[in-house]
Amino acid sequence: MSTTTALGAELLGKKYGGRRGGWALRACDFALPAGRICALVGPNGAGKSTLLALAAGLLRPTEGTLTAPAREDLAYVAQAKPLHPRLTVADTLRMGRELNPGRWDDAAALRVVEGGGFSSDTLVHHLSGGQRTRVALALALGKRAELLLLDEPMADLDPLARHQLMGLLMADAAERGTTVVMSSHILTELEGACDHLMLLAGGRVRLDGAVDDLLAAHALLRGPVADLAPHRVVDARTTGRQLTALVRREGPVEGPWETSEPSLEELLLAHLRNPEGAPA
Amino acid sequence: MSTLALKGPAWVTVRQYRRTLWLAGALAVLALAVVAGLRIWAAQHPVAPMKDGVWAASPDNDGYLTLRWFLEYVGVAAAVLPLAVAALVAGPMVAREYESGTYQLSLTQSMSPADWLRSKLTVATGVAVLAALAVAGIFWFGRLGVRAGWDYHWSHPGPYAAAGITVFAYALAAVAVGALVGQLVRRTLLAMSAAGLVTGLLVLAFNAYRWSILPTERLTGPLGSSLDLPVEHMYMDVGLLTSSGARFDQTICWDRANRTPGTDTQEGLWGKVEAQCQAEHDVTTQFIDYHPSSHYWPTQLIETGIVLALAALAAFAAFRLLRARHS
Repeated sequence: MSTTTALGAELLGKKYGGRRGGWALRACDFALPAGRICALVGPNGAGKSTLLALAAGLLRPTEGTLTAPAREDLAYVAQAKPLHPRLTVADTLRMGRELNPGRWDDAAALRVVEGGGFSSDTLVHHLSGGQRTRVALALALGKRAELLLLDEPMADLDPLARHQLMGLLMADAAERGTTVVMSSHILTELEGACDHLMLLAGGRVRLDGAVDDLLAAHALLRGPVADLAPHRVVDARTTGRQLTALVRREGPVEGPWETSEPSLEELLLAHLRNPEGAPA
Repeated sequence: MSTLALKGPAWVTVRQYRRTLWLAGALAVLALAVVAGLRIWAAQHPVAPMKDGVWAASPDNDGYLTLRWFLEYVGVAAAVLPLAVAALVAGPMVAREYESGTYQLSLTQSMSPADWLRSKLTVATGVAVLAALAVAGIFWFGRLGVRAGWDYHWSHPGPYAAAGITVFAYALAAVAVGALVGQLVRRTLLAMSAAGLVTGLLVLAFNAYRWSILPTERLTGPLGSSLDLPVEHMYMDVGLLTSSGARFDQTICWDRANRTPGTDTQEGLWGKVEAQCQAEHDVTTQFIDYHPSSHYWPTQLIETGIVLALAALAAFAAFRLLRARHS
């Protein structure tokens, strides 16, 4: 293998609530190469947060194995952005320094907090949702982790702040070769930022791979309604006699259709609309 | 509460709860100041000397009476301290971290689950021991002003809790119970109530049964004689024995005397009937069961030992539970 795996899973499964609980995640197999920026997408309840919490070492797998960096080498931002409400921003960052002796990078953390419109002696519980996100991200980036696990990191941010922080995050990751796994509902935030994609649905991995490979493996077809075999149809819609279909191609597409490579958003929407796989 | 010397996880814990810590410190200083003030006030009217074997404060010495009254509450504080410690550890320190998800923050900022709990328990233990020391110190400081006149009895629950060493064991047990309950009940208020309740039951159980730990001493004498107890005793039981040494139920003869006509009007008849009845039942001896003051420290030590063992058990369970839940 030429690349090392930053995060890997073999038949990984997680069940909640004892015997009668359901599987949040089941039979997951993947190997995320180091240095990738991975978008973790899927409908609500697909198991994204569970997978990230497992990777962060906060949950124990019910079955299977998970290979992740040690606690010291990974950073995690939970969806709710938990922070100690009675600490000031400065104290929260000092906490990062105290808990990560020898590896904490104050400058990296401060870069995230800057531009948030709050002073460092503000108490955390006086911060807005977006400002909390900044502090939580600052703690994660200041840690200088090999693997950054971000659960819906940008949901609370306004478009401007989202753009700024995403840029910061990507520059930082590129500079350090950090692997990032980021779950998100905001498809536009992933486009252009991520080079790897993992799609979860119903607790299973439906799609996993480098974005370029995935895009090349699919085709968007427009044309008359006809049998699409041997290609596997992910999503198809007909308007009158016009067919629009996204297929996973098996060899070159030959037929009366106008063929194009889908955008990442089109690919994701097609798969999200049909999370259980291609219709028959 | 200087946080300058602290490092790492301990710094984080102290910083998180510094308001509570300041409050506890201020409360201790205030109580100490009150006791000091009351001692000065009381000292202006010396306590009257012993008269007919009875110590008494001069009735016009309000300072002295207030000091005694206040120290009663210091005794109560010693009994209640473990409840407060358990509630604070279980609720704000442990359960709230689960409730608000902040444990995820610590656990992904390089702390192992065991480090996380240990840092909390270390700080809580330090503070609880200091609090126990403060309560005991304030009690002793105040008591030195009381002693000469009208001391507390060593067996009374308040002075027993404040003047001995059990308060330290309870403080440690409270921290361990808090850690366990906080993990089991992951809701702040519920965990506080549950931990306070469990610790309170422990305190109550020992208040009820601590004098049953050591066997009592028995003083016996022939029927009708006067029994001389040591001065510093704790009275437990009194009764009658037959010549075979079996205990005799006194109510049998009291019933007989009550049923005999004329005992309520005729002087001495009641006693005569009772004595006759006792003679018929072969009652020869009277006894008093008591704890001598020499039982005080052994009882304190045994209670401390049991409570410490329970504390160790709870702490062990807390860490086992933690390990079972997190990798």
